Amino acid sequence: MAIPPIAALEIGTTRTVMCVGETNESGRVKITGVGTYPTIGVRKGQVVDLSQARVGVESAAKQAEKQADVSIWQVLLATSGGHIQAGVNPGMVTIRSNDHVVSREDIEEVTENAKEVQVEADRQVLHTITQAFTVDDQPGIVKPEGMRCKVLTLNVMAVHGLKNRIDNAVNAAKSAQLDVSDVAFSGVCAALAVLTPEQKRNGVVLIDLGGGTTNYIAYCNNVISAVGCVAVGGDHVTNDIALAFNIPLNRAEEVKRAEGCAVIDAESGGRRVVLPADVGFEERVLSCKALHTVINARMDETFRMLRSRLDEAGVLPHLGGGVVLTGGGAYLRKATDLAQRVFGLPCRIGLPVNVDGLEKAEQPAALSTAAGLALYGRMTYEDRGLFSPVKNIFKGWFGR
Amino acid sequence: MSQEQQTALLLLGVGGGGCRLAASVLASYGSGLRALGVDTDALSNRTAAAGGMTCLLLGGSRLAGHGTGGDAIQGRLAAQDDMQNILPHLQGVRTVVITACLGAGTGGGATPEIVKALHDMGLATICFVTRPFAFEGEARRKAAERVLPMIEENADSLVVVALDDLFSDAGGGLLTDAVQAAEGLLASGITLLWRLVSKPGFIQLDAERLHAMVLRGGNARFGFGSAEGAERASQVVAALRSCRLLRSGDAVSKANALLLGILAGRDLRLAEIGDIMGLVREACKSDCHVEMGTVLDPQYDGRIELVVLSFESWTAAVPVEPRKDTPPTQEPPVAEAFPIQPGSRKGRAKGSKLSFGTTGRGKFQNVEPTLFNGQDLDVPTFIRRGIALER
Repeated sequence: MAIPPIAALEIGTTRTVMCVGETNESGRVKITGVGTYPTIGVRKGQVVDLSQARVGVESAAKQAEKQADVSIWQVLLATSGGHIQAGVNPGMVTIRSNDHVVSREDIEEVTENAKEVQVEADRQVLHTITQAFTVDDQPGIVKPEGMRCKVLTLNVMAVHGLKNRIDNAVNAAKSAQLDVSDVAFSGVCAALAVLTPEQKRNGVVLIDLGGGTTNYIAYCNNVISAVGCVAVGGDHVTNDIALAFNIPLNRAEEVKRAEGCAVIDAESGGRRVVLPADVGFEERVLSCKALHTVINARMDETFRMLRSRLDEAGVLPHLGGGVVLTGGGAYLRKATDLAQRVFGLPCRIGLPVNVDGLEKAEQPAALSTAAGLALYGRMTYEDRGLFSPVKNIFKGWFGR
Repeated sequence: MSQEQQTALLLLGVGGGGCRLAASVLASYGSGLRALGVDTDALSNRTAAAGGMTCLLLGGSRLAGHGTGGDAIQGRLAAQDDMQNILPHLQGVRTVVITACLGAGTGGGATPEIVKALHDMGLATICFVTRPFAFEGEARRKAAERVLPMIEENADSLVVVALDDLFSDAGGGLLTDAVQAAEGLLASGITLLWRLVSKPGFIQLDAERLHAMVLRGGNARFGFGSAEGAERASQVVAALRSCRLLRSGDAVSKANALLLGILAGRDLRLAEIGDIMGLVREACKSDCHVEMGTVLDPQYDGRIELVVLSFESWTAAVPVEPRKDTPPTQEPPVAEAFPIQPGSRKGRAKGSKLSFGTTGRGKFQNVEPTLFNGQDLDVPTFIRRGIALER
């Protein structure tokens, strides 16, 4: 069965990305078209100005259509924001058969039970990701079929967000005459594109350093064990620089990209950065060390916050595969060094290796989310299109 | 004295210098004092431990016991790593006395972190920190200056002692003598706190009063004087008033509260206490709150030592139990984004430097704030952490 091209849209805080992914014979997704456009009207991952956000979506879509030679009318949408939360939801079933052997029906029943996630009325469940089965009191069972037990439990990680915030993002796409077939959490998408099976087995945390938000997703023993989002991102670094040196935000962004560094080290000492004069702006000379101090404080705090979140979730000791940084913020100089110091784990930049066609892109890690979303679209295609009318059922495919 | 009162105080030495000070306090006091030393340098830890003090290594996984090499960031990270290890030593403690020498890595880096953690746990902290010598150079002085506001932010009381002032009298002496004398002086001040609360004297100060004093007192100055002979009562006050650490008596005359400790031998006369108190009251403001205690110790026979902590920012209107609830009349309005937590000292003027309210948010002016642990993350981190930027 051929899978038609999939269009994936990410309305990020700094830029809107549209990726078109085609599935080849071997089942791998190849990105054939990428469109990006600077976003206006989005703050910390949330749409605050619909009409301005629409412009970005339209422009990115046009660019991607041209490159991939397709016409886009339906997209998948990645969303993020501080409102995204995750929790473990257990489902339970008593094995009624006389021999107490777990049958396929029992597994289906427990899966269904677990996915009945109760959230507040104003929240919408984005993903239900299966973790592992517990057979009586023995946890961590992957395939319980045929085992003998009285009670079978399945834990499901439910990712949910505020309904109206998600609807706002959907409306931004709709206003650009695009139908949204499914919504996914950016962090989950990035993990699909970046993490390798080996890393997932060893335990790994993926940190997606976006413009307005930082998403994280941790795998332990092939199971997603922590998911979340903090509404702090690259924009905050820029804002800090702008306030520290009293310069406009666009100049702060420039100097961050050109001279930014996440750690204060010997090479920053004594050096000075010149901001050339511009209309209505005098030439300024900044101390490189001060610049790095501002960036370091913010990045250090962000990493520490994530560390404490992971610590609370109890996953910190199980991350043998280390820390993987992705998203545009990963290209901040020495961000990996800082993460390595804060987490005490090896750290590297994660590129979207699970999809093809992005090798030549500039800063491919910044495209991880959109590329992963295309992959997500391929994986859930059957669910959405043919077999199941229910959206958003994410059958525990990744990780296994 | 009951066991509880003895153990409600803990002496914590941070870094090499802080541990040495704590050790000398321990040595001059004897047993019965709860002391703990923390350092990143395993070697100095071992020396301090030889003196009978409990010692913990900070940042063992990060620095492998080799010290920070003067890097305050390493010190801070080490403290964050191993804060958990300090917790078991804090059972039943209400007031922590911290000694540290600023200017280098552990003392400068770990101290603010530890003070913050203790403050968050609701413990009262009184920090005795030393500024480096002038000859140690500009870099160290600056490093120490940078750290002070960070400690001040969370410490209930901060006593800054410039090493230069401490050594001013011992200029001509041998180095070892001078160091010993200076350490002895500082240690005697800290020891006094213990003696006042735990050793039987004529008038004693209980641990709870000290706790309240520290909580309400804010930053303090520390000074001492000693005298012998017939006129010792008046001489000791004169000596105190000429002490450089008290800015030659200026700190006494401006103080809103004084904690006065009289150390004397068994030959102390009641009239002498009266004389001393009378002279001290003359020297200070009329509405100054004076708490005093005496310690009688045979080794001080024929001598009187006066040790004083002067608090300038004493807030008399605060009820004795300020931890339970913050009095609404005292608090200036703090931005909503900074919820006042129990034990928070936002009411004080120096705490309010954090209440940026609407000014520090810049781009995120009209956006829903990102709150984490009671902090508004949209306000730049360097502002919230009080980091001074090099211009």
